[in-house]
Amino acid sequence: MPHFTLQVTPGGGPILNGYIGVSQAKRGALLAANQAIPNLVQIRGLVDAGASGTCVDPSVLTALGLIPTGSVTVNTPSTGAQPHTADQYDVSLMIPGAIPTHAALIINNLPVMCAELLVAQGFHALIGRDILAHCLFAYNGTTNLFTLAY
Amino acid sequence: MALEKELATYKSKLPELKDSEGKFVLIHGDELVDTYTSYEDAIKEGYSRFKLEPFLVKQIHAIEQVQFISRFVDPCAIQRA
Repeated sequence: MPHFTLQVTPGGGPILNGYIGVSQAKRGALLAANQAIPNLVQIRGLVDAGASGTCVDPSVLTALGLIPTGSVTVNTPSTGAQPHTADQYDVSLMIPGAIPTHAALIINNLPVMCAELLVAQGFHALIGRDILAHCLFAYNGTTNLFTLAY
Repeated sequence: MALEKELATYKSKLPELKDSEGKFVLIHGDELVDTYTSYEDAIKEGYSRFKLEPFLVKQIHAIEQVQFISRFVDPCAIQRA
């Protein structure tokens, strides 16, 4: 099972580097329309078991020129007791392996929620339980290391 | 509001979709195209049929499911279709 182990970022938590791009499905539509494929956007993502779904900062979605293809209802501390509606976007996500010969974690068509304030908190995405559902995530607080196997 | 027409269509057609709970529906304007067993199949069909035009893919739930995020973030929209 491919995996990597990284240091827990002081004050930040289990943060990893990855890339977000247009979804594989949208890529095909762009190519068919003779339109350019936006470059992948490098991101810092916090692995967050407290997020039921993966969230991405609007700066990343803007850079990819995306429009919503979904809508979800979401509850966060900022919304209080009343759930809010968040636009959903289809993207691709790639998290490189620990070394070049290790397989990367790649999800070609992933629905993500748009969520502001992530960059202000030091990252561009929350890697939620929708992705963790396909992984083994180990957080070792005694060594300040975390492992993600997929 | 993004996908306003599609969301209104979803709401109006929801009673007809009760046997497809958990599946993913593809909607373009007021047209309900079909339901799919996976998100991937629905989004691929959406781009295949409607190219770069707006369309909606939504998981069918008789009672709307609420996502939870324990961090302080603001759900947002960046572009309007």
